[in-house]
Amino acid sequence: MMAQENAKVFVIAELGMRGTERVTLQLIGKARQLADEIDYGVGVILLGSDLADSEQELIEAGADLVLKGDAETLELYQAELYTAIIVKLVKEYQPEILLLGSTSMGRELAPLLAARLETGLTAHCIDLAINASGILEQRIPAYGGMITIICPIKRPQMATVAEGVFPNPVLDSSRTGNVIPIEIQDGISLRAHTLEIVREELMGISLESAQVIVAGGAGAGDVDGWREITELASVLNAGLGSTRPVVDAGWSDFDSMIGQSGKMVNPDVYIGVGISGDLQHMVGITGPKIMVAVNNDPKSHIFEQVDYGVVEDCRIFVPALVSALKDNKAKPD
Amino acid sequence: MLKIIVCVKAVPDPKEADRLKIDPVTKSIPRLDIQLVLNPLDCHALEAAFQSRRKYGAQVTALSMGPPAAGNVLRECLALGADEGILLTDPAFAGADTYATAFTLASAIRKLGFVDLVLCGMVSSDGSTEWVGAQIAAFLDLPVVTRVSEILEDQGDVWTIKSDYENGYRIVKLKLPAVLTVTREINQPKALSFSGILKARSKQIIEWNLESLDLPAERVGLKGSPTCVSELSNLESRRAVEMLEGTLEEKVDHLIEILTNARAA
Amino acid sequence: MIDFTFSEEQELFRKAAKEFAETRIAPHVPIMEQTNRGWDEVVKELAEAEMFAVTIPEEYGGLGIGYIGRLIALEEIARISVATAMMYQVFGLGIEVFIKFGSEEQKRKYLPKFATGERLPTVAVTEPGGGSDPKGCQTSYTKEDGSYVLNGRKCFITNSHIADVQVVLANDCENSEAYSTFIVEKGMKGFKATHEEHKVGMRGCNTGEIELREVVVLADNILGGEGKGLKVAMTAIGDVGRGGMVGCSLGVQQACLEAAVKFANERVLYGKPISNLQAIQFKIAEMKIDLEAGRLLGYRAAALQDRGERSANEFAVAKYFTTEAAQKAAKMAVDIHGGYGCMEEFPVTRYLRDSFVLGPSAGTSDIMKVIISRWALT
Repeated sequence: MMAQENAKVFVIAELGMRGTERVTLQLIGKARQLADEIDYGVGVILLGSDLADSEQELIEAGADLVLKGDAETLELYQAELYTAIIVKLVKEYQPEILLLGSTSMGRELAPLLAARLETGLTAHCIDLAINASGILEQRIPAYGGMITIICPIKRPQMATVAEGVFPNPVLDSSRTGNVIPIEIQDGISLRAHTLEIVREELMGISLESAQVIVAGGAGAGDVDGWREITELASVLNAGLGSTRPVVDAGWSDFDSMIGQSGKMVNPDVYIGVGISGDLQHMVGITGPKIMVAVNNDPKSHIFEQVDYGVVEDCRIFVPALVSALKDNKAKPD
Repeated sequence: MLKIIVCVKAVPDPKEADRLKIDPVTKSIPRLDIQLVLNPLDCHALEAAFQSRRKYGAQVTALSMGPPAAGNVLRECLALGADEGILLTDPAFAGADTYATAFTLASAIRKLGFVDLVLCGMVSSDGSTEWVGAQIAAFLDLPVVTRVSEILEDQGDVWTIKSDYENGYRIVKLKLPAVLTVTREINQPKALSFSGILKARSKQIIEWNLESLDLPAERVGLKGSPTCVSELSNLESRRAVEMLEGTLEEKVDHLIEILTNARAA
Repeated sequence: MIDFTFSEEQELFRKAAKEFAETRIAPHVPIMEQTNRGWDEVVKELAEAEMFAVTIPEEYGGLGIGYIGRLIALEEIARISVATAMMYQVFGLGIEVFIKFGSEEQKRKYLPKFATGERLPTVAVTEPGGGSDPKGCQTSYTKEDGSYVLNGRKCFITNSHIADVQVVLANDCENSEAYSTFIVEKGMKGFKATHEEHKVGMRGCNTGEIELREVVVLADNILGGEGKGLKVAMTAIGDVGRGGMVGCSLGVQQACLEAAVKFANERVLYGKPISNLQAIQFKIAEMKIDLEAGRLLGYRAAALQDRGERSANEFAVAKYFTTEAAQKAAKMAVDIHGGYGCMEEFPVTRYLRDSFVLGPSAGTSDIMKVIISRWALT
């Protein structure tokens, strides 16, 4: 049976400012791996407007089948329209697995789809695997450990995954796939109508691409302590990340939050300041060669997870470090 | 007059919640005596309801699914200003995933008859999925906008909504009745007041169970959940740490050396 | 017999008071400490949070929550700022004399404005000649054609400069056995607040002297009836005044315990947090025991008060116990902090200084023992 006719691991593609979102390609790469394990094909649902040949990249990333809906009404994400189209396609193609990026669109669309399809949905997975019974194991960090969730009976098994959890796939230009255009009905009235989407350019260093990241946590103490940490990131020309307590306190916003329900990062060097080592944050960090932590509690869990540790109140240590770094910079070579 | 339902959740006090850990031996989460409090974002949902009530008049009902102890949290919602509280409580509701939770809440909302607006906090501090609000909308066949940060126009039954979207925002025209999930930015909730607490004396909390909702047991709780937990495990710690020693200056210098070698400084 | 748990509603009062103190009072504490000022801001916050309405009956514009509610509010406010709690409690004392002894007309005239904080009252008894001995009062009044002329001086008066209304205890010139309490208002000719005190603790709590020189008032200004002054003053101080000190002290005890526990869990010596050392554990246990006991004594007395029963003796016991316990707790907390206990960035130094002012307020510990022995011996 041709793989594209047996596409059973589906990904909902998402388009961003510069074409296909990275998370979509990462999910297709992972879908490819999962599909190979259960001997199925990978399908991608691509909805948008003026799509040209955007499906090409999806196929090169691993898709066997692309269901392409290209219409003006699909230009912006519209919950009711996207949901209606995808539900119809899912009922027709009956995928085993359906994945979405843990993006703003994904976090709204996924639950709507799951409810309409009467199936289960797991949020912000940091790993996916097929178990011995052919069921998708969806792993999330919680309560200081790892929880594996399954959706044993209902189909499709749905999960959202953040950008950066899975690696960018190698694009293979020799791959081929089937592209099927979807007919989009005209004149559907929407009760929730997205009029405009404004995406702002990121200021400063994007966390996803930063090679050095300074992350601050509750140990910053107060907004002044947080400012010191911001300065440290600036002096090191590093990305500035945060944890949930920092966002909750209002010192920084949600975009800076590193962790399971925030951003996944893979810097070369990670410096955690006033961070307790809580799992929800730490799972957001993969790959650094060097991990450093500064924390005033010698018993802190973070010291089991880093290469270098400093027991010091970060409100004392960070200014001292910043000052010394500035002195070094000022010294003539 | 608008009929507004605010879905609220009683969650373990976020300040204490990180004491809940998977026991490495039993591979389960031991029960701790952590107090249940109102999910922080739900205060913003309540305040959004109160703002509509101040402007146009509304009846605001706080609805929650939880154990009997969640009644305290509903009492607080009344003290904050909700007109009545409804607690969905029944051993059968326990162990629900978001699907079963949203299904149960939606059934209760349906039982209340016509509603103009359902408001939820964007996410709960313990579940952290962001699913329930949207799924309630799906079950009630209502439109939904998630992560609402500002209500730009709210006269009549067509509203203009601003919501967070990636690194920016989107503007949505929304026809009521509808569901909104809100972020912290949407408003500044008013503090719990003594007079509010006194006024709550005359307000009631109604309890509904499985029978009151007339639902089959297989659709709620653990039985009604398409997902389930198959395993709990601990993460092994990953690295062997070298603790830097010495005076403050010595530690600073040592760290700078490490960072320089790693080409970070 | 006895239910020692707070009701759901009382727990909500506590939550509201705690959140209020942490978000609206705490930011003012550093300024109050550094400048011994800042009282206007915190008094305004107290008014906005309906704190002054707590004991005022609903029919006079209050919330009628009662004295357990008052104690809960005081505890939570004192935990953050004893200076604020002290001003609040003494305003409560001023309010109490009107509730208990005001004529219908006086209640209608003053209580609604007290409830909103628009005007605030205090009671002035202490003088250089006597605090523990109120009869040492030399402030006097003479009667002249249906009006009264007051002369004298009061010292160590909380809210001396900020109260709009003062209830002043004065001695009848013609009858040294007779005392009356007079309502004197800011702006009256001859009445002014003079010297401001600089206390070692409770900084930011307005304390000072007032002076009366030929202040003329009418019979309408007598509170509680002519000749009844001692009864008015002592009754109010007896329960509300003492009760207020209990609230202040419990707050200090709680704050000391929290600071001690936090420090003991973080401070590492000999490779472990010092909370592992028995010497430290025993100090913390003592603080905990005193806090549990103090709470029971305080709330028991407040419960009697809420039932309209006499509670002055029970409050004497609670006042003695908690003010002494707070001083002990502060010293123990400072000791647990070791060298850090002398450093001003650590709040325990403030708790220690604040605790000194708890003892002599609303009756010294020795006076409490006099009262309690009288209770035991009869």
